Amino acid sequence: MRRASGRIWWRIAWRNLGRNRRRTALTASALSFGFVASVLMIGYMHGMMEELVSNGTRVATGQVQIHAEEYEPERSIHETLGGREGLDVGALLDAVEAQDGVAGAAPRLYGGGLVSTGDETVGGILMGVDPVREEVVSRFGSSLVAGRMPGPGEIALGDEMAESVAAGVGDEVVLVAPAADGSTGNDLFTVSGIFSVGVGAFDDSYALVELGTLGELMAMDPGRIHEVAVSVDRVREAEPAADLIREAAAAVAPGLRTEPWSVLQPQLFFIVTYANSMNWVVAAFIFGMAAFGVANAMLLATFERRREFGVARALGTSGLAIGRIVVYEGILLGLLSLAAGLVLAVPLMVFIHENPIDLSRFVDTWSFGGSAVRPLLTVEYSVVGPLVSAIALVITGIAAALLPAWRAVRVPPADSLANR
Amino acid sequence: MGENSNSGTVPDAVHAGRSTEDAVQPQGHAVRTANLWKIYPQEPRPVEAVRGVDLVVENGEFVAMAGPSGSGKTTVLNLLGGLTGPTEGTVRIGGQEITALSDRELARVRLKRIGFVFQSYNLLPMLTAQENAEFTLLLRGVPARERRERVRNLFDEIGLEGMEDRFPLKLSGGQQQRVAVARAVLGEPDLVLADEPTANLDSATAEALLDVMEQLNRTRGTTFVFSTHDPRVMERAGRLIRLVDGRIADESTPDGA
Repeated sequence: MRRASGRIWWRIAWRNLGRNRRRTALTASALSFGFVASVLMIGYMHGMMEELVSNGTRVATGQVQIHAEEYEPERSIHETLGGREGLDVGALLDAVEAQDGVAGAAPRLYGGGLVSTGDETVGGILMGVDPVREEVVSRFGSSLVAGRMPGPGEIALGDEMAESVAAGVGDEVVLVAPAADGSTGNDLFTVSGIFSVGVGAFDDSYALVELGTLGELMAMDPGRIHEVAVSVDRVREAEPAADLIREAAAAVAPGLRTEPWSVLQPQLFFIVTYANSMNWVVAAFIFGMAAFGVANAMLLATFERRREFGVARALGTSGLAIGRIVVYEGILLGLLSLAAGLVLAVPLMVFIHENPIDLSRFVDTWSFGGSAVRPLLTVEYSVVGPLVSAIALVITGIAAALLPAWRAVRVPPADSLANR
Repeated sequence: MGENSNSGTVPDAVHAGRSTEDAVQPQGHAVRTANLWKIYPQEPRPVEAVRGVDLVVENGEFVAMAGPSGSGKTTVLNLLGGLTGPTEGTVRIGGQEITALSDRELARVRLKRIGFVFQSYNLLPMLTAQENAEFTLLLRGVPARERRERVRNLFDEIGLEGMEDRFPLKLSGGQQQRVAVARAVLGEPDLVLADEPTANLDSATAEALLDVMEQLNRTRGTTFVFSTHDPRVMERAGRLIRLVDGRIADESTPDGA
């Protein structure tokens, strides 16, 4: 005997959904709202994580960094790229920027030092930068609240550091820094600008000096730098970009270590990974609640159709086929809900994305691991949210149908025909 | 189309290729039960719905079971159809013992060998008349074109032409019962069990329906076992079995045997 066409079970399931349209609409709406809530929640989490990573990497560090093998973790001023002799910085930058997905690269020199106006002195991190290249890699330039990036003989201070030493644009400060030759360098600098990137670690401790000027202060040759910070087009694709950059850098000079932000900022990477895994938890929680309502409605519908199931069994329908009808109803209900959910979720997503809700009256900017998240309720466009939610929705439809299907399979034909 | 049209016609669709004049004379037992008991556990004491029924129905018989309400007619039919299992005793359908079969095997036996007609029609409400009638054919994997053709031919012959796409709620009681009969016979079962099939029908519709079933019995040899209160069914039966309190009280045939 050939097997019955499966289409008939789908047809019956579809028509069953149409028999009590109000109940189907109410049940589907539970799933649809679950879908919308899940999409928006995951979109919000995704947006928050994007901002966290973006701020954590675009403020200063970049998404990929190149150091000398031994630079981390002591960050000794002697551990420059290419060793004490340095390397051809221009050739390295060219090689890096030639790679796919790389937006730009900037050389940096670091030193510790004191910034003093005479009356006030604070310790800080001196960062030698190429102001033009930094435009692409970091947000220092775009975060200037006064003045401009430093040229030769100039310095830009974080706003909190500037406040600490009571210095403003045009004022003179003295820098004192240990040099590579064992001496102590010091010089007078003019404050060219004040920046505020919104992350305390930078705003209260960083002072930017033009790369060549800081090299002179620290008695470092022009070919000596501590770091190349690289900005990539897509933050999430930093790792494959890092692989390309690593190969390109190795061709320029040996002994270099190239690492993506996920290695450079493990805390940040952990929280992003954790938050991503929470997407499933959020979806499971939302749809878990919806599943109870759906299962309840389907159980009721199944109970009402005991007689029909009994008739079908009496005519020779297998229990499996009866169960399939109910499970197919769950799947179709899920797909209906998904369609309705998409109609609701997509415009809402677009609206909230375009018009983020300002929560600054209720909460402050949140800092974490050298990054910060603004108090904005926004939703990032993402495939993950709708995809995870859609999968969760259909699984919920099927899961909610399993118990009713089991009950339908076990309907005794004679009892149901006798309305017992 | 009135409900009484085509009464007495021969539904060729269920026996394609066989002449309506060829009366079938099948041999052997269609049904045989031995010491059949059905006891429902119930407080304050169990209900003995069927008590030691020994019944033999030969192939091709047109048998009616009569008796007052609660006499066990429907329970006996359910036992014969494998819709419920006996507390004791055995049921053989066409020589096959069915009481020890699994649910799946029972479903297969019902599908291949037994047709059901219920008092309250019991069409599947989400299927059209055509889909209801061809339901068992579909379960048996008969190709769509053949199903459609067989249903159309039978519908033409039992007065349901043009009703194929109607849902049960749009059909009268008589039309629904004719669809139910079509559903029962289209699969060409050896045995049709009909539980008070005329109970909800007006007189003319009931007569027309009985004509259809009687001719199916005569021309194709399909065995019919009815439970009924209806004198019209009893009059047409080849054998009348009276049940009282779950036992066979007596049997009679039209010739008085």
